[in-house]
Amino acid sequence: MNFEFGARETDLFEKVQTAMRALEQERNLEKADQPENETNVRAALVSLSDLGYLHLGVGFDSDGSKGTLSLMGAMEAVALVSPSVYLAIEMSARAFGRVLSTWGDAEQQERWLTPLIDGQILGGVALSESALNLDNDPLQTTGRWEDAAVVVSGQKTYVVNGAIADWIAVAGLMEKKPAFFLLEAGSPGLKIAPRRTTMGYEGTVINDLTLEKCRVPSRHIIGPFENEPVLDTIRIWENQILLGASLGLMQAAFQAAKTYANEHHTGGKPIIAYQEVAFKLAEMLTLLQTSQLLAYRAAWTADNDPGEVRSLTWCAKVFCTEAAEKVASSALQILAGAGFTSGNVAERAYRCAKYGQIAGTSTEIARVKIGDAALGLR
Amino acid sequence: MDFEFTKEQLMFKKEVVRFAQKEIVPRVQEHDLKEAFDFESFRKLGEFGILGLHFPEEYGGEGADVLTTVLAGEALGEAGVDGGLTLSYGAHSFLCADTIFLHASEELKRKYIPKLASGEWIGCMGLSEPDAGSDVASLTTSAEKRGDRYVLNGTKMWITNGPIADVAVIYAKTQPELQHAGISAFVVPKGTEGFTAGPPLIKMGVRTSQTSELVFTDCEIPASHLLGREGEGFLMAMQTVEWDRSALLAPFIGSATYLLKNCARYAKGRVQFGRPIGHFQAIKHKLADIRIFGEAARALVYRIAWCKDQGKPLNHLEAAVAKLFIGDWSLGPTNDAVVLHGGYGYTHEFNVERIFRDSRLAPIGGGTSEIQKKIISKLM
Repeated sequence: MNFEFGARETDLFEKVQTAMRALEQERNLEKADQPENETNVRAALVSLSDLGYLHLGVGFDSDGSKGTLSLMGAMEAVALVSPSVYLAIEMSARAFGRVLSTWGDAEQQERWLTPLIDGQILGGVALSESALNLDNDPLQTTGRWEDAAVVVSGQKTYVVNGAIADWIAVAGLMEKKPAFFLLEAGSPGLKIAPRRTTMGYEGTVINDLTLEKCRVPSRHIIGPFENEPVLDTIRIWENQILLGASLGLMQAAFQAAKTYANEHHTGGKPIIAYQEVAFKLAEMLTLLQTSQLLAYRAAWTADNDPGEVRSLTWCAKVFCTEAAEKVASSALQILAGAGFTSGNVAERAYRCAKYGQIAGTSTEIARVKIGDAALGLR
Repeated sequence: MDFEFTKEQLMFKKEVVRFAQKEIVPRVQEHDLKEAFDFESFRKLGEFGILGLHFPEEYGGEGADVLTTVLAGEALGEAGVDGGLTLSYGAHSFLCADTIFLHASEELKRKYIPKLASGEWIGCMGLSEPDAGSDVASLTTSAEKRGDRYVLNGTKMWITNGPIADVAVIYAKTQPELQHAGISAFVVPKGTEGFTAGPPLIKMGVRTSQTSELVFTDCEIPASHLLGREGEGFLMAMQTVEWDRSALLAPFIGSATYLLKNCARYAKGRVQFGRPIGHFQAIKHKLADIRIFGEAARALVYRIAWCKDQGKPLNHLEAAVAKLFIGDWSLGPTNDAVVLHGGYGYTHEFNVERIFRDSRLAPIGGGTSEIQKKIISKLM
């Protein structure tokens, strides 16, 4: 057992955060129009690629910063600066990237994974459909052979990077088995709805997609899978991404509130001198530290305890995403008028935190799954 | 960073669970309802090696590291041992025996540690007073040096094991004007003239542990019973915080595991509306919240233990975070467990109501949640 990150890991965390801070100085990473969002994300890709960040978790980890646990620490560092850019990058590098690194063949990895980790292309994964619940409702997107290609039709919702990705891995069924269809931006039959206006993550481009008889060549298909828990695995990755986001949101909100509590005076003393403020900060830090350790342990199980990874990730997902909302809410309260002003770190964290409870495995579904595990039903 | 225990540690934990389920748990309810200390179980803890686990073998211990000691505490909770016995064990082994081990003369260590490790003698620690709880500096029990003896006068309150202890570690002021720096610690054996214990207090939970006041009236003890030097008492008390935030919190983690297993078993067997209640999402959510609490609390406790094993000075902020989280958040799952059992949960038929009562001490004992917030907000 060891409760400290190694020197290389902490060095990486500092570097990625510094790189993001530099970008933040130049650009408005959180509130921008779509072309600006795309420019921001691509600039971050280049910057983070140089540091090896995009390699993490996709089989190209450098010495000293290996595995999902290191990845979690690094994700936290990026998310605390810009949750929007973080989400866009993660759905590219970790979701799209891991589809390729886990299930793609050598040729596919060479073609897509190499430029992806070099920051040259942006990816996305189209998973959700109108029902949103993958457990209760089988995927409706299907592919069927027609001559030398597969023709794919269906509708996808809430696709992060939908309109700006160079390539999208579309999850669907082929011969009634799960498969991914790799679609390039602008493919005939691929229609992208206007960007969704969302409560949080305003700097992330999220769209719905319609696939009308898109022709996908065989070398652009991953799967179909016989007995692979493909959708479950992707949900774990998504949940890990949302864990990293929650930690970053909490860090940012806590730091902003603490700084304000030390600087803002009332009654002749800084407001942190009042127990109602100081104790709130103590509760926030307790939630943050507890969340960090739980998220790190869940990340550690991904590489070291496969039997526990699913249920512990659900536990962490529920706890950390709910803690993020609580911490952001308390930060907003401490920051008072400043916190309620649009663009403030706390109000942004408050809005973004909600996404964490909805996306991936929702907190309700996660609790059902944890309960099922306790009952021996999973 | 990694979260792996050694195979030996995990095997030991399983052994402790098995031992406790067989030797201790069958008597828990009887003693809880009678508010009686279970001497037999306590001695069995000693025989098994738990009471002296972290002491060197030459003092009757097992030489275990802190993480292993924490796992033993977790295992007791997981087996279903009540919070009263685990509290008595904590006060005995860590607050009393460990302070003697760290600060007493070799003669006193040889005299007391083997008997405390075996469970032949029971120890307690007296710090709090009727008017000095969290505010340690305001304690008024005095220790006046007269020749080669100290004379103690004052009253201690909320003393776990007070009525049954054979030996007490007592904190008293040798120089009242110095506040914290005027506090010293002493070993006071049972039977010393002028040292009496009050009757056990009737408590809401942890009822098998015996709690009382201790009264010192011109109680003379040899000067050799001073631990360390005069004025070092407060620091000694602070040293016990490392154990208080690791080994003493560990049973709460184990208890969450116990609750989860027992609630799941009940939910599978209890049929309403034609199906086991475990099939209802609301019940699954309660099970989930019990598990989430246990998982969230776990690493906080292990972190304190790991740091102690590494010889790192206690991080008081991290210690307060662990205490605050477990103290405040353990109440939800224990309440959920009672509600999940419905009417049965409100009776003594299942252990959940006892665990609910026991857990209520968590945000109070060993430093209230408010004090933890004060510490965190000061250090952050």
